[in-house]
Amino acid sequence: MNTISRRHFLQLLGVSSALAATPALLRAQTAASGRVVIVGGGFAGATAAKYLRHWSGGDVAVTLVDANPAHVSCILSNLVLNNSLSLSQITFNYEALQQKYNVNIVQGRALGAAHGQLHLDDGRMLAYDRLILAPGIDFATVPGLDFNRVPHAWQAGPQTTLLKQQLAAMPAGGVFVLTIPPAPYRCPPGPYERACLVADYLKKNKQGSKVIVLDANPKIMAEEHTFTTAFNQTHAGVVEYHPNVFLNEVDSVNRIAKTSQGDFRASVLNVLPPQKAGRIAFDTGLVDGDWAAVNPLTYESTRAQGIHIIGDAQGTSQPKSGHIANAEAKVCADAILRAFAGEAPDPAPTTNSACYSPITANTASWLTAVYAYDPATRTMKSVPEAFGEAPSATQENYEKMFDWASNLFSDTFA
Amino acid sequence: MLLRLNGVVLTSFICLVLLAPLSGQTAPPAGRLLASQCAQCHGTDGQAVGDIDSLHGESAGELYDEMTEMKYSNDPGDIMHRQAKGYTDAQIRLIADYYANSSGGAIDNGNDNDADESDKPRNDDDDDADEDDEPRNKDQRRSRKEKSQKDDD
Repeated sequence: MNTISRRHFLQLLGVSSALAATPALLRAQTAASGRVVIVGGGFAGATAAKYLRHWSGGDVAVTLVDANPAHVSCILSNLVLNNSLSLSQITFNYEALQQKYNVNIVQGRALGAAHGQLHLDDGRMLAYDRLILAPGIDFATVPGLDFNRVPHAWQAGPQTTLLKQQLAAMPAGGVFVLTIPPAPYRCPPGPYERACLVADYLKKNKQGSKVIVLDANPKIMAEEHTFTTAFNQTHAGVVEYHPNVFLNEVDSVNRIAKTSQGDFRASVLNVLPPQKAGRIAFDTGLVDGDWAAVNPLTYESTRAQGIHIIGDAQGTSQPKSGHIANAEAKVCADAILRAFAGEAPDPAPTTNSACYSPITANTASWLTAVYAYDPATRTMKSVPEAFGEAPSATQENYEKMFDWASNLFSDTFA
Repeated sequence: MLLRLNGVVLTSFICLVLLAPLSGQTAPPAGRLLASQCAQCHGTDGQAVGDIDSLHGESAGELYDEMTEMKYSNDPGDIMHRQAKGYTDAQIRLIADYYANSSGGAIDNGNDNDADESDKPRNDDDDDADEDDEPRNKDQRRSRKEKSQKDDD
């Protein structure tokens, strides 16, 4: 891989560091006209922090709280499994947000909020006029599932490394079993992308191995044409796809998925458990079912004034992805700035998704969608003619994928 | 307000910010939120990294023409063909004007002088099958753009 796109991508971290080192444009923060505290420094939270500062010209005080000093992107993380990327290349700290945009970064774990104060587990309290919760996903309990033996790798980081190590240690002729939870889950094409990349890796490194995909959904949930082609042609004889298979229990020691269609024994078992909003959304009483109910004009909770939920934890019908989380964060930031100015929110917000999925170690597909606010139903609706997927997986798309990701990473964290 | 990122204008901008009263928030410029939805791929304020086109510094006419050209091009292999179809021509105009306004690009109308564009419903243009517009591929777009950049220089 010596193409221009790839080089640009590999240089991105260096560029971010350089930007972060420049004198802070808006360093001299004056008395702020509003205080926003954000919980969660993933794609949603980081974008909201950046744009609140950027768009207010430094006039709004922003504090970003995250339990970790950096965010590891799920986007592109499947490429760590086949050694195309290292985790460090998709890990983003908050230095640029702090130094370039003067966001107050607090490492800590948020417990809950009351009376305009966010409570951290070490006793600290952070006062806010508006609170944004961007906690991402949490996992439902699956009986017998031990993530130390059966990784999900659906939050990137140590779990990604563990799955990569298990794949590397897998014998030739082994079986990789992947279970997909009922929708909605984080990143609709992600599980199918993982099946493809693992199949590609096994063909080259562990000959005679199989990939068995056990999907709780009735069909492939994203890029159906792309992944049907990939399973039936590109990776024919390696990938076996089974729809309507529900996971009941896991034998983590023996790596057995116990399902509605029997037991599947694996050399490497990768369970993507059913998903729900991150814990703080439950602890603050903001969920309706598994996700937080919000007004899509502002992402303000329909259950609590002054608290907004963005990203994967919110419950609009928009897909849960980093790209859309970034889009939602901008709508939310704009609405909060307007609220501070005594203005109504934009009555016609749009969001969009553009997403590249690797199919092999050098080809990729894409999907695209635009969502527009529908006043009649008060929901974000997909614009039908803007919805589509790539006609085929190509090397050109694989290169474009790094340009897309570089810009998304940069727009979010730098 | 033109925010050119050179020393003089930037300095006065910072002064304005510092002098702003506590209630200094004002309504955002038209098109800002809409235009920010391009930034996931085209960079914050349209300043892209890598091989994706920057929108920063382009004239409103160029941006409008390129977007509408992609929208009506019927090129299913171009991700921007799909994306562009998600927006009305009036929204595309708003995006183009915002980027030109905020990055010093010329505020012109482009070649498509359709004054009644804002009256077009979103889906009067959505049928791939009966579009016979000259399909322009990405390379043609890029070369046209490079040419126009050279002209600017």
